[in-house]
Amino acid sequence: MSPHTVPRSIRDRVDRDRFLRWSRDYGVYVGVALIVLFNLAFTPNFLSLENFRTQAVQVAPVLIVALGMALVIATGGIDLSVGSVMALSAAMISLYLGYGPIVAVLIAVVVGATAGAVNGVLVSFAGIQAIIATLAMMIGGRGVALVLLPQLDGIRNPGLRSLGSGSFLGVPYLVWIAALLVVLVAFLVRRTVFGRRLVAIGGNRRAAELSGLPVRRVLLGVYALCGALAAVAGALVTARLQAADPNSVGVLIELSAITAVVVGGTPLTGGRVRIAGTVAGAVLMQLLVATLIKHDLPPSWTQMAQTAVIIAAVYLARDRGRT
Amino acid sequence: MNEQHPTSPRGPRRALLATAAVCAALTLAATGCTRGEDDAASSAADEGGGEGRAQVLDEAASGDETCSAADHGVEAFDLTDKTVGFSQSEAESNPFRITETQSIKDEAEERGVDLITSNAQSDFAQQISDVQDLMSQGAEVLIIAPLNSDGWKPVLDAAESASVPIITIDRPINGTACADFVTFIGSDFVEQGRRAADQMIDTLGGEGEVAILLGAPGNNVTTDRTDGFVERLEAEAPDIEIVFEQSGDFTREGGQSVTEQLIQTEPDIDGIYAQNDEMGIGAVTALNGAGKAPGDVAIVTVDGTEAAVEHIVDGWISAVIESNPRFGPLAFEAAETFGAGEEVGTNLIITDREYDTSNAEEELGNAY
Repeated sequence: MSPHTVPRSIRDRVDRDRFLRWSRDYGVYVGVALIVLFNLAFTPNFLSLENFRTQAVQVAPVLIVALGMALVIATGGIDLSVGSVMALSAAMISLYLGYGPIVAVLIAVVVGATAGAVNGVLVSFAGIQAIIATLAMMIGGRGVALVLLPQLDGIRNPGLRSLGSGSFLGVPYLVWIAALLVVLVAFLVRRTVFGRRLVAIGGNRRAAELSGLPVRRVLLGVYALCGALAAVAGALVTARLQAADPNSVGVLIELSAITAVVVGGTPLTGGRVRIAGTVAGAVLMQLLVATLIKHDLPPSWTQMAQTAVIIAAVYLARDRGRT
Repeated sequence: MNEQHPTSPRGPRRALLATAAVCAALTLAATGCTRGEDDAASSAADEGGGEGRAQVLDEAASGDETCSAADHGVEAFDLTDKTVGFSQSEAESNPFRITETQSIKDEAEERGVDLITSNAQSDFAQQISDVQDLMSQGAEVLIIAPLNSDGWKPVLDAAESASVPIITIDRPINGTACADFVTFIGSDFVEQGRRAADQMIDTLGGEGEVAILLGAPGNNVTTDRTDGFVERLEAEAPDIEIVFEQSGDFTREGGQSVTEQLIQTEPDIDGIYAQNDEMGIGAVTALNGAGKAPGDVAIVTVDGTEAAVEHIVDGWISAVIESNPRFGPLAFEAAETFGAGEEVGTNLIITDREYDTSNAEEELGNAY
């Protein structure tokens, strides 16, 4: 064997690694393309403006929550409380709508950011693990929301209703807002010191601390931002539903959001974040559910299909921490 | 997730205290100067409650089997001396549960009976321990609104050894009537499905394509309301085809999302059968958003909440089959009769009314 030949087994493994890395980074786009092609071929009336509008409107709240989740996961944390923050947001809107929709939404976002900041303090200053701190907020937050607003409350305010159902240039407001937030978060991650720092903390927290980064403040900011984004999602769901429903709004959305982030190629171990991938991940899961509903398959199929996608994504991501 | 890291030099304790302070301040601030929509006109009607018409028994459907204190193996008693325990299964956040609990409380107050209550918040293990707690707190008669029908053995055994009679309402407990529990009082969910089918047949004139918005999967209410509907359509209206069956999880948002998908794939759908009012209202929002007019799609729902009956008046919903949650009077009457040593039917089925375009306006006050 000449010293220049690489043994076959190693070459195979390099090829395999390269393939795995490629598929974890771009697999989600392939998935979206495949499911769109399937629907174009087999789903009646799929290729219509109305249908794309419906899918975009339905995915917008999950996507907005997933953006915040992507940032938190990039720091190596997790936020289970997003659904409860949405419930708090819905309760706030119902309680403060008398001051007008703008004030009500602002209050909801401030309360969401504060709830997120509480998570941030527990994680960064009190040293509680993120999964525990946000689990506490998940349980307590919905409890508070239900105390504030014990039952569903219909929304009649025309301003807030048009936020949920109106559109500008043929594109629903919800979709505009989601798109704007995607651009803002992408900018934050790529072009700002804050964005660089949060990824650095997720990559190696000790190194970040030793090199003098304000680790605690950045973590506080990231969790507050995640809470604020969840509150925006809660406001949009409330506007779309034309009712504040703290009992069922955002239930299990943390799992959809985490799924979108992971499927989109952001590792749960932190240190890396993919915003475009997160968008594609959310769209993939939305189209998956829509496809199964449109073909009238039992809901249990939806759950199994989602599980298959998650396992595939986690399989591809399993040695991501080492690269 | 996060690695354990060095805590703040000021110590985690101060951080926790600060957090607690922030949480308290947040809650206070959040409730400080609220102003909801139309506060001035906040109507009592929105509160649910037990004001509407009480339940009426359907003698024919109720069966002939009866139970008395002697049959059940307990001594006769006077209900007014007893403490009654009520175990609610789901959070009082939907009109059905609010009205049900309120009706029990109102009836206890009216009769001057001591009542202790608990709520399991949709957690079955919680409900089992709730009922055991009620007994240790001194409940001598139990009214249970069970979350599930199965899994009640430990409670039934404990109640039997303590000679505590059990009355179950709205969903049955699997067991032997008169041995394990005294009586079941509730609606016939299969019959509700059949009557929804009758309304759908009427509205569509016997032909068309309909969709079903199913309730939560694996729930016997979902199964029963589906079975009755399908059975009646097959028997009476073979020209009505069920083209779509998807779960909206008994929530408004679920009903809205599923209907949005439905009207993309089946733009010519003629009717929607929603297995509860919330999903039906979600369907109305979705159809409205898609530019449909009231009456374009016939909607039939089950429950009888005020919001749904209002939609009959404005033309969006064709009919609502009632599922009456006002169990208070019948449950206490059964307990009183049983305590007096007399016979009580073991399967008490109530008659549910229905609302359609002919009576919605004048019956609106009976909706909950």
